[in-house]
Amino acid sequence: MERKIEIRNAKESDIDSILGMIARLKKLNEEFDTRMRVSPMMEENARNHLVDVMKHHEDYVFLVAEIAGKTGGFIKADIVHRIYYDPEKEGRISEFYVMPEFRRLGVGGMLLNRAKKILHSKGVGLIAVEFPSQNMIASNFYRKLGFVGLTSIFGKETDSQE
Amino acid sequence: MEKEFSDTAKYNEAAVIVSESYKGKTRVIPKVPIRDLSDFSIYYTPGIAEVSRRIAADPGMSFELTGRWNSVAILTDGTRVLGLGNVGPHAAMPVMEGKALIFNYLGGVNAVPITMMIRSSDEFMAVARALEPSFGGYNLEDIESPKCFFLLQNLQKELNIPVWHDDQLGTASITLAGLTNALKVTGRRREDSWIVLLGSGAANIATATLLGSAGFDLGKIILVDSHGILHPEREDMDSLMINHPWKYDLAMKTNSERIKGGAEEALKGADIVISAAKSQPGFIKKEWIRSMNRDPIVFALANPLPEIWPNDAKEAGASVVATGRGDFPNQINNSLVFPAVFRGVLDARAKGVNMDVMVTASNEIAAFVKVPSEDHIVPSMNDWEMYPQVAAAVAAKTSEIGLARKNGTRGQFLSIATDIIEENRRFYQKAFDNGLIKDFRGVIEVGKKN
Repeated sequence: MERKIEIRNAKESDIDSILGMIARLKKLNEEFDTRMRVSPMMEENARNHLVDVMKHHEDYVFLVAEIAGKTGGFIKADIVHRIYYDPEKEGRISEFYVMPEFRRLGVGGMLLNRAKKILHSKGVGLIAVEFPSQNMIASNFYRKLGFVGLTSIFGKETDSQE
Repeated sequence: MEKEFSDTAKYNEAAVIVSESYKGKTRVIPKVPIRDLSDFSIYYTPGIAEVSRRIAADPGMSFELTGRWNSVAILTDGTRVLGLGNVGPHAAMPVMEGKALIFNYLGGVNAVPITMMIRSSDEFMAVARALEPSFGGYNLEDIESPKCFFLLQNLQKELNIPVWHDDQLGTASITLAGLTNALKVTGRRREDSWIVLLGSGAANIATATLLGSAGFDLGKIILVDSHGILHPEREDMDSLMINHPWKYDLAMKTNSERIKGGAEEALKGADIVISAAKSQPGFIKKEWIRSMNRDPIVFALANPLPEIWPNDAKEAGASVVATGRGDFPNQINNSLVFPAVFRGVLDARAKGVNMDVMVTASNEIAAFVKVPSEDHIVPSMNDWEMYPQVAAAVAAKTSEIGLARKNGTRGQFLSIATDIIEENRRFYQKAFDNGLIKDFRGVIEVGKKN
């Protein structure tokens, strides 16, 4: 079935749909590791953050895929400054989700490519992505696209008795 | 006073008594002539060294010079035995022995039960890989889901012998066979039929996949599990993607109208319901059947008790009703499938088994019922001639699609399968008639008196 897919900047009116997707994404992360259990404040915090993101176009790339009139996927990359390394500007994909209904249509690839292009035009020389260490599907997905592991973040709760 | 036993209780008790008496259900008996002990120099050292040398030079010869061609391992970790759950490898053995017995009696296959003390899928894979040189095929049995999907998929991919998981493939094949005739009886076509699969365990996941390969429209199939109808917008989709990709895949491909809700919503207007869900009569409600399309087909396959009693389903308007039980018409029984399929793949020295082969087996089983009717959509286990017929169709298909090491025509394979199955039966019958295998009817009567 042919469905029209449009990749565009996220708008205020997309926020509710995007929050739904963030909730799914974070709930999945929780499955990988309970240290990423979802906070009861998640929705409110996310909403505030997204409103902020929309005001600061210079620091973020924030795109949605509109599919047959629905917000079916989104990508958010944060532009971070690597003061010790070259290239100095890194576009770090912090959130990236496509609704299951719209998977296998190439939506993810379209979002990623558009984000890459925009990042490049903003002088970003490195694109990176973060996801739970246990997420092998994401790991395999990005490896296939030529991404390699750059840094590792290890975590441990501070209340352990040692 | 004579105590009333339910059938199940009666069989349970008899099984214990028989197990105590016989201590196992199959045995290894020589099949070569031993005229005197000097013949061991042929069967064993020094003579046999030459046979080893030949197989070393061409490992494929192990199918021709040893019993590998007719040997199947029944592999289990005992994690989902019957309805008992994870009882472990020791407790799985009597069940696997029973399977081995059916393999042999109906299909002439030498099946060896192997129950394994293992924890992970990787360990299971390692054992299966290691044992491959001894066997012509593997039957995976009573393994928990979704591990069973992972093992079947990966072992089928890696190994060069047919790997079958009977709880998936056997059930799916006989369901397809029954459905084929039920469609005839009710005047339906595969591609137009709306099918609801209640329960999304190993059997129904495999059934959905097989139906898709057999000309049914996956978009018109609706799977229902304990969370309701499967559809891509469900909250647990990502979790399924990670933990159960097979179910996730079906969520994407089935239910093209994206119907939401539970079993009740799913069944409205559907043509067919295949339930492998809960052994509890009344789980499928009569009003759900009434809400289905005209002359609905109801397969209530849970054991020992179906999800709806056949007379209730009929009262609610069902045209064809099938269950997993032998005391009602239309028993959907794996034992009609696996002995014949293995007879076929073994005779063709097959390197694998796939959906095409399964569809062939199902069609052949269905075709064996010459005049299908509401009460007769599948053969019974007494239909001896069916087994070699299905075996021959399977072997010929295997040969046709390039999976066979030994090619042949259907006629050739029919003669091979018939000879093997009949000779095996004659051998057994002779031992039984001569009292070498003791009649257990006396033993069971003891059970009844207690």
